[in-house]
Amino acid sequence: MKRWLTRPDEMSCRQAAKVLQSFLDGELDSDRSSSLEHHLEACRDCGLELETYEEIKAALSRRSFELPPDVMQRLRRFGDEIALGEVEGV
Amino acid sequence: MQTGYVEGVDSVDDSERVHLEGADRFAAYVLPELDVLGRVALSLTRSAPDAEDLVQETLLRAYRAIDRFDGRYPRAWLLTIMRNAQVNRVRRKRPELLRDPEDAVRTMSDTDGEGSTTEDRVMHGQFDSVVEVAFNELPLKFREVVELVDLNQLSYQEAADVLEVPVGTVMSRLHRGRKRIRDHLGDDHPAARTAATRDQRGREAKAGKAKEGRGKAGKGRARKAKAGDSAHTGSAHAEGRTEGRS
Repeated sequence: MKRWLTRPDEMSCRQAAKVLQSFLDGELDSDRSSSLEHHLEACRDCGLELETYEEIKAALSRRSFELPPDVMQRLRRFGDEIALGEVEGV
Repeated sequence: MQTGYVEGVDSVDDSERVHLEGADRFAAYVLPELDVLGRVALSLTRSAPDAEDLVQETLLRAYRAIDRFDGRYPRAWLLTIMRNAQVNRVRRKRPELLRDPEDAVRTMSDTDGEGSTTEDRVMHGQFDSVVEVAFNELPLKFREVVELVDLNQLSYQEAADVLEVPVGTVMSRLHRGRKRIRDHLGDDHPAARTAATRDQRGREAKAGKAKEGRGKAGKGRARKAKAGDSAHTGSAHAEGRTEGRS
């Protein structure tokens, strides 16, 4: 019966759960993205699920580490020297 | 000779022209990726001096190969160079480890904690700490993918290039890794409650379906039995009619 109530392009929660993380990473194709967005407009549970993954991703990216600025500066200089042919053995 | 050189561009011979083109390509394709290379190198080596060496080696290799590079996806190209350089570095340092080339990128230490300042923790409260603990508890194969995509902001394809695994493997490990982190959040988080409710509903629905299935089967059996009775009754009637006729 439910089959006849859902449009063919509509996603179920189960289908949404499968693509939620790819959507979050911007790796989902546009067709499935719009189907998911359509689903998210109506489904509070999946919306909360997406928010949680967004928070996790944000928490992890806050944890991101970089090389110290002086190291990066040396590497930039090294790159420039290579480009100028000033490094021996290249 | 000196005059010819000073007179300008026309005096630049072919090898110098190639050199300049290569240098331009290097500046255009490689140098803009230095920040990413630095972050990924630090992920791979877990040590700033080693990461610096690795980036330097990657830059040198990239420069030597720049004329063969077709100009498409420079980041993916550079990450592949970096991965190969790291394989060789580990092989030089610890040859016994490298029967499996993937070990080269499995040199990440199990302990870390860099990059997360006290201020961050205060600002973002308990949540970041829980995520961090859960992240550190992930099996290495999940953690390295989560690190490349969420911490170093690589695409799935780029992470696949670094790890030399198919994109599907990156997706699967990443999604499972994040799901494990989410499962660590506990009941305090709204989505965890939602997920728990959903799981509960799922279990109930399954149990309901099974019950319904059993009910249907029971009804089916009952109908069958009833039909059997009717058939039996029918046949009895028929028999009766037969008897009556006889």
